[in-house]
Amino acid sequence: MIKLTLKDQPTVPLEAEMLTPDQFSGLNLDAIRALPVFLGKRQLRVDDFFTVDGEPSDELEIHGDLAKVKYIGRAMTRGRIKVCGNVGMHLGAAMKGGSIEVTGNASDWIGGEMTGGLIHVHGNAGGQVGAAYRGSLSGMNNGTILIGGTAGLEVGMRMKRGIIAVKGQVRDFCGLQMKGGTILLMNGAEIRTGAWMIRGTIISLKPIKLLPTFPFACTYSPTFLRLIAKHVAPLGLSLPMDEQTGTYHRYSGDSSVPGKGEILVWQPRV
Amino acid sequence: MLRITGGKVYDPANGINGEVRDICIADGKVVANVEGGRTIDANGMIVFPGGVDIHTHVAGAALNFARALTPENQRVAAKFLHTKETRMGIGGQTPTTFATGYLYAGMGYTTVVEAAVPVLSAKHTHEELRDTPIVDKACCLLMGNNELVMDLLEVGEYEKAKHIVAWLISAAKTYGIKAVNPGGVAAWKFGKDAKQIHSPIDGYNKVNPGMIIANLAKICDELGLPHPMHLHCNNLGVPGNVSTTLETMKLLEGNRAHMAHLQFHAYGGDDWHTMRSESVQLAEYFNTHPNLTCDAGAVLFGNAVTITADGPWQHLLYQLTGRKWGNLDVENETGCGIVPYTYKGSNLVNAVQWAVGLELLLLINDPWRIFLTTDHPNGACFWRYPEIIHLLMHADIRRERVRALPEAALSRIYLADLDREYTLYEIAIITSAGPARALGMKQKGHLGVGADADIAIYNQNPDGELMFRYPRYVLKGGEVAVEEGEIRSVKDGHEFVCQPSYDAGIEDYLKPVFQQQYTMSFENYPVDAERVHGMQIAECSYQKTT
Amino acid sequence: MGGKVSCTLGEVKNRADFILYWGGNPAECHPRHFTKYTIMQKGKFLPEGRKGRTMVLVDIRETMSVKAADIFLQVRPGKDFEVVTALRALVKGNRVDTALVEETGLKLEQLQDLVDRMKRCKFGVIFFGMGLSMTRGKHMNSAAVLTLAAEMNAFTKFVAMPMRGHGNVAGADMVLRWTTGYPFGVNLCRGFPRFNPGEFSTVDLLVRGDIDAAFVLGADPGATMPQPGIDTLARVPTIVLDPKVTHTSKLARVHITTSVTGISSPGTAYRMDEVPLPLRPVLKSPYPSDEEVVRRIIAAVDKKSAWLPKPATMASGVM
Repeated sequence: MIKLTLKDQPTVPLEAEMLTPDQFSGLNLDAIRALPVFLGKRQLRVDDFFTVDGEPSDELEIHGDLAKVKYIGRAMTRGRIKVCGNVGMHLGAAMKGGSIEVTGNASDWIGGEMTGGLIHVHGNAGGQVGAAYRGSLSGMNNGTILIGGTAGLEVGMRMKRGIIAVKGQVRDFCGLQMKGGTILLMNGAEIRTGAWMIRGTIISLKPIKLLPTFPFACTYSPTFLRLIAKHVAPLGLSLPMDEQTGTYHRYSGDSSVPGKGEILVWQPRV
Repeated sequence: MLRITGGKVYDPANGINGEVRDICIADGKVVANVEGGRTIDANGMIVFPGGVDIHTHVAGAALNFARALTPENQRVAAKFLHTKETRMGIGGQTPTTFATGYLYAGMGYTTVVEAAVPVLSAKHTHEELRDTPIVDKACCLLMGNNELVMDLLEVGEYEKAKHIVAWLISAAKTYGIKAVNPGGVAAWKFGKDAKQIHSPIDGYNKVNPGMIIANLAKICDELGLPHPMHLHCNNLGVPGNVSTTLETMKLLEGNRAHMAHLQFHAYGGDDWHTMRSESVQLAEYFNTHPNLTCDAGAVLFGNAVTITADGPWQHLLYQLTGRKWGNLDVENETGCGIVPYTYKGSNLVNAVQWAVGLELLLLINDPWRIFLTTDHPNGACFWRYPEIIHLLMHADIRRERVRALPEAALSRIYLADLDREYTLYEIAIITSAGPARALGMKQKGHLGVGADADIAIYNQNPDGELMFRYPRYVLKGGEVAVEEGEIRSVKDGHEFVCQPSYDAGIEDYLKPVFQQQYTMSFENYPVDAERVHGMQIAECSYQKTT
Repeated sequence: MGGKVSCTLGEVKNRADFILYWGGNPAECHPRHFTKYTIMQKGKFLPEGRKGRTMVLVDIRETMSVKAADIFLQVRPGKDFEVVTALRALVKGNRVDTALVEETGLKLEQLQDLVDRMKRCKFGVIFFGMGLSMTRGKHMNSAAVLTLAAEMNAFTKFVAMPMRGHGNVAGADMVLRWTTGYPFGVNLCRGFPRFNPGEFSTVDLLVRGDIDAAFVLGADPGATMPQPGIDTLARVPTIVLDPKVTHTSKLARVHITTSVTGISSPGTAYRMDEVPLPLRPVLKSPYPSDEEVVRRIIAAVDKKSAWLPKPATMASGVM
């Protein structure tokens, strides 16, 4: 395992897209220390900001308050990154495989346009989780993102495939212009959930405020939910399935697009 | 002072076909001889006059709109770092102005014509052109839907219309005029189009597209403009539009005209499922009518951004693609539409479009009358021209590409039957000598004594794409602007404008009409000459030969 | 997807028989708008002027502009996005939830009536103000209105445009586009332009404290930014170019007084419809123009050893 420890928090954002198992592969510690990072307009070295110890490996542990460190795990294809602390924007952006774990909070755009792999944030996440960058036709195209805390605006914007699960509450525009994939809201969301969605499924275990363009369709317990439940079980998530305890209300929309998406809201029996 | 020695010179305007000879340069011009100064050893290289792009969209409100609309393209485009010589920028489908200059010069092109400028935002276009370095520039003024002109034609006031056109060209500091979907864009202001060139345009009793076309062509000739009317025909892009194109060409007999991006106007069939190439039929007519020139408007597979003044077509494309749509109608003058588009080899319509562009380049037998363009960024980006050159030079590679097209496309195109292969001499014509002549730019497109020393020198290479993508040297105004792919010196180019004469009294007619129909002061409408960087006035000396 | 379907103001003057103002109070904030460009003007195709046009106002409260409107629709605060999205569905004849529509403060019949009028007009325009674009939902509220206008073109001619704020905002936008490829929120740290609103836009940089110096030109962020942003401006070296004392200049380390562009120095201003207008000075000022000051700063910076980005900055392909 390679261990990086942040010496001092940078005063302005530090862009560190070199901090991935792919970039580290085949390098000894000195070569890793010499990799470039970018502080504002200045190109500096990894060891200007981090102490680097351990053995060359596909596993990477980063310690410190990295709230201003951006692009960790960018485009990684394999291996594992563990961030012990908070982390900055674009964590795991365009990631293809491997896994990233964050013990603290994460910022915006985590897993932006990712195509595979797993990101697990124990704390809160910012906005645009798994989203498309501005103007892009689609956001995440596969992979899994699990947020232990809350998440911000536009979670899963234009996502095409994959799963995003959020244990805490999510802010506005969750699943905005979604094209496919699944978003699991364990604790509901604020407003405008599923706005302009074309396809895909948003499942909420708590009642949520819907747009007028999501008329009620039916009450049901679809079979595919069992598949999703099975898929997320290893992440420690469980979906209520027992028809004795409740059902799912299906709202179809967004009828303004017009969309073939759906929002399923769990309704416990009273 | 500079001497280029040992290279094979291709200078079609002077009939020089690959002879090894020296080119001498002094004070930015080609001269008979120089003593001393730098010598460029061009052994094993070919020497071309700098490229001239007769039809491109590189500056102006429409392109600037497209930039804002497509950040996803910029994000993946080539990046230009800030260096001692160059400013930072972005390439791609809608390059920033500085990058535009570097990309054109980097490919050996030294003169470009921005093909669509509204009078109302001409100031803006000139600001952008000022920030487009190295290359020389000129622009065409959008006139095919100008309501001041159409209203006069409606009441039979041809002479007055002519003076207004002349006044507008002078006011906007432009070089020539362009007509885009004549009448159709004006009709689009109420959501309509003009599909029949002999039917009156919505809102008019007499004026039809044909009438606008014929009159503007005549006006261009009578004003003596060096470049004829630049025409984007009605019904662009739709199946079966070849009949419109042929009808339009018949209207132009007796006058000069330049048919822009002819590829987009050469389709047969009744709908998208039966769309086919009509390049043979179109080329047959074209070959026998020397009053016409055209540019190819070729398509290459990949991402493009369609940008045109043709508002109704862009609305159709928006509905067909479901992608984003930008539209900006310009009061009393024109419109503009933007839709990002991806040409796919697996798509039948796109396959036909790709073939038609190449077919026209191969079937129109006089290279002096068809020029290499992609209607950048509509059919493909200008920096992909070398790919097309390569295809023009090799029939076997074309056939190989045809084989990769969908089966259903093969019976709808002619490309596989065409054996013609372009020579270097012909490439020099369609990329430089021909467009310069069609533009009436006597100092461009050749290497004779007195010509501007705009010269591209390439390492000779059987791979035409490689050869033309990376010139060894590019000289602009006698200075080495590019050497081995690096920008060496960045000087600003000139802008060519025409100032045709008009009856000064025309302003008395214009002012009250303007006050009624426009929303700015008449005094603010013309572009001040000092706002046009490096302005050079070209003579309006064309005379019709009878 | 949507996009932006717009026109220059002369088209509105000459043709618009249906004018909708959303989240703005033009009577007080853009006092010349009604008389110069929209409802009061006689247009080429609207010889009757005001009589030939229908004006609808959508806002969360009654303002001075209500008097000018034929129809006033009062929407509950924070419900604009819901209304526009419902309108988009109704335009296409799709189903909406009546009860949820009524939570917006408007009845379904009112929305249906609006849609019918929109479809019946010959040329419709929507002007939207900061009551829409700066309230909850922000850019998505603007996107909603722009998309509604774009989709209306399947039925009749329709355009939309924002009522832009003070100063030459549109001009700054235009220059950034042709020089960097992006309209705002541009970052040049890596030696080439990058764009990400929310990350690189001024308000976000200031609020997060992601900067270590500020250069303020033609703006007064000290008056308009949230408090954490103002704190950042006070913390870092801030340089202000402004003809007058502003909230920002008071907390800046350096304030250079400049002449007023358009009054004492020349230039170009872009109208809200992106039409450029030449500015011609009418008075002399003892102060230098913004342009001159910036040029002198550039010349002074040029004397320092050059900072040039290394090609490595591009290798990783961020953004």
